[in-house]
Amino acid sequence: MSPIIEITDGNKAFGSFKALQDINLSIAQGEIVTLLGPSGCGKTTLMRIFAGFESLTSGSLKIDGKDVSNLPPEKRPVNMVFQRYALFPHLDVFENVAYGLKVKGIGKDEVRERVRNMLRIVQMDHLQQRFITELSGGQCQRVALARALVNGPKVLLLDEPLAALDLKIRQHMLTEMKRIHAETGATFIYVTHDQDEAMILSDRVVLIDRGQIVQVDTPQDMYNRPNCLFSAKFLGETNILHGTIVEDASGKSAFRSAEGSFHYQPTNQIASKSAAIMSVRPEAISLFAENPARDNAIPATVTDVLFTGSRSFYHLVSDGGEALRAQVQNTPGLNRPNVGDRVHVCWPHDGSVVLPASPSH
Amino acid sequence: MILRITVYLILAFLLIPLALIVLFSFNASPSFTFPITGYSMRWYAQIFSDPQLGSALWKSFWIATLTAIITFLLGAAASLAWLRLGRKGRTVLEILCITPIALPGLFLGVSLLVLASQVGVQLSMITIVLSHVVLALPMLMIAMRARLALFDPNLEEASRDLGASQVLTFRRVTLPLIAPTLISCAVLSFALSFDEFVVTAFVSGTETTLPMYIWSMMRRTVTPLINAISTLAMVFTIAIISIALAIAAMKRATNLSSRDVA
Ligand SMILES: Nc1ncnc2c1ncn2[C@@H]1O[C@H](COP(=O)(O)OP(=O)(O)OP(=O)(O)O)[C@@H](O)[C@H]1O
Ligand SMILES: [Mg+2]
Repeated sequence: MSPIIEITDGNKAFGSFKALQDINLSIAQGEIVTLLGPSGCGKTTLMRIFAGFESLTSGSLKIDGKDVSNLPPEKRPVNMVFQRYALFPHLDVFENVAYGLKVKGIGKDEVRERVRNMLRIVQMDHLQQRFITELSGGQCQRVALARALVNGPKVLLLDEPLAALDLKIRQHMLTEMKRIHAETGATFIYVTHDQDEAMILSDRVVLIDRGQIVQVDTPQDMYNRPNCLFSAKFLGETNILHGTIVEDASGKSAFRSAEGSFHYQPTNQIASKSAAIMSVRPEAISLFAENPARDNAIPATVTDVLFTGSRSFYHLVSDGGEALRAQVQNTPGLNRPNVGDRVHVCWPHDGSVVLPASPSH
Repeated sequence: MILRITVYLILAFLLIPLALIVLFSFNASPSFTFPITGYSMRWYAQIFSDPQLGSALWKSFWIATLTAIITFLLGAAASLAWLRLGRKGRTVLEILCITPIALPGLFLGVSLLVLASQVGVQLSMITIVLSHVVLALPMLMIAMRARLALFDPNLEEASRDLGASQVLTFRRVTLPLIAPTLISCAVLSFALSFDEFVVTAFVSGTETTLPMYIWSMMRRTVTPLINAISTLAMVFTIAIISIALAIAAMKRATNLSSRDVA
């Protein structure tokens, strides 16, 4: 199946500032893709290019197989949900949702039918006559979603649609969003700088840093197999060790740092003797009171314990002086180390990822 | 206590002359002195039998109406431009539209007179209307600037995104949102033009507007007729301004920018 959106060698400059560089991305019909990245990395700019409010400085953009470089926003088969909703304050809920259908000259009865139906899907059918100023944040968000979706867009662009909501509603709306996606079958492109939102929602995550795509992967793969330091650090928490790749006596690759030598499962080829970093997720780490006499075990001291109920977070300092974090499940009946205790920190071979120590990310 | 007395004194100072005008407009005798011996509507009756006065009133009405319409159109165009300009462009636009407010009416009158004679335009109703527009536009732009600053540019984009062309977006979104402020400003321009005197005196040529007619009457004799005219003009102006305020209040009730929502 041909991709619904395909951007090839896309570049966007504002004057001399390069907002987006070498963007290559192809999105399949029906996917939920999130654009994830720190503030100012170019997520909104990319969305505005899809919607037609900005044009590429160079490169090509195809939507549904057609080049859209000369297509104004009103002619594109995409609809956008704006970060601050941009609902029309002079119209009520019904008229807001009906807006797109009316300007396309669709008959009154059909408009009423489709608007009612869409308001039912977003569970706002009981507030049709309300003015926008009389709605709560979550309700505005639903209306904004309905206003875009009622047009049956091939692609729905959502620019941080939950940013203005508090945590509780946000989690609820995420579930809603998945339901609505399943019900409408549209392709969702979703901008966020919240990694949890990205991982819960998406089929694939597009990680962007300073105008460049860093990694495109499923949430699981991106979390478990980051392709660079930036990915490893951006998604979830992680411990980073700096060192070099060496070959041990048996010819196996090992990672050597000030803490010692560590074995790992190679996921990408890094030449021997080159500088590298090792990323170890806090939940991959186990703590032992005695030396477990295993690979990848280093002595450390507990400096802080944060108890959160089902889990505890440990802050540690290795004997080599490296600050480490571990996340441990609180199984009942087990003795857990306290602040000041000497422990051994240990992780399995497949509990770490070794990455080239590239200076770029 | 002192503060309250001061406020009452100031109010009295402002309102007593007006109250006197209203009072004497119903005075049966033509004298301006107390005690008032009787009340009558004779001065009001006289207004409607003075053909010159009628014509001046009619002219002022037309001038004010035209001023309001032209100010509305120019204001709408300037507002649209403002929404599309960057920071620098906005500053230039504001300087062009708002500076005349700083000029004393006297200088404005002189300069408009000089301009008209330089360009070779006959002084007429047209020059009066144009100079009233020059007076009214800054007032409108100051009010519009406050309104436009609240205007969320995403609203126009949202409309385009939903399939509306630029023209349709203007009709369905931009205009409905800025119209209440524009209309209330246009109504105020009407009031401003209706009793404008200083600038009008310079650019009116042989035309006589209502304020000028009153002035010329005053110079001949101080007749109580003036009280009646002034009372009517006052009632009319207050009505107009109330309408403008009502429109503005309506705007606040329904047309908050979406920014205020989130
Ligand atoms: N019209 C513009 N003119 C000049 N620079 C711009 C323009 N729009 C965006 N930029 C710049 O491009 C960069 C990317 O902006 P963008 O809005 O896409 O970031 P973002 O990833 O959406 O950030 P956030 O998470 O804060 O919304 C920023 O550095 C921004 O200053
Ligand atoms: Mg953004």
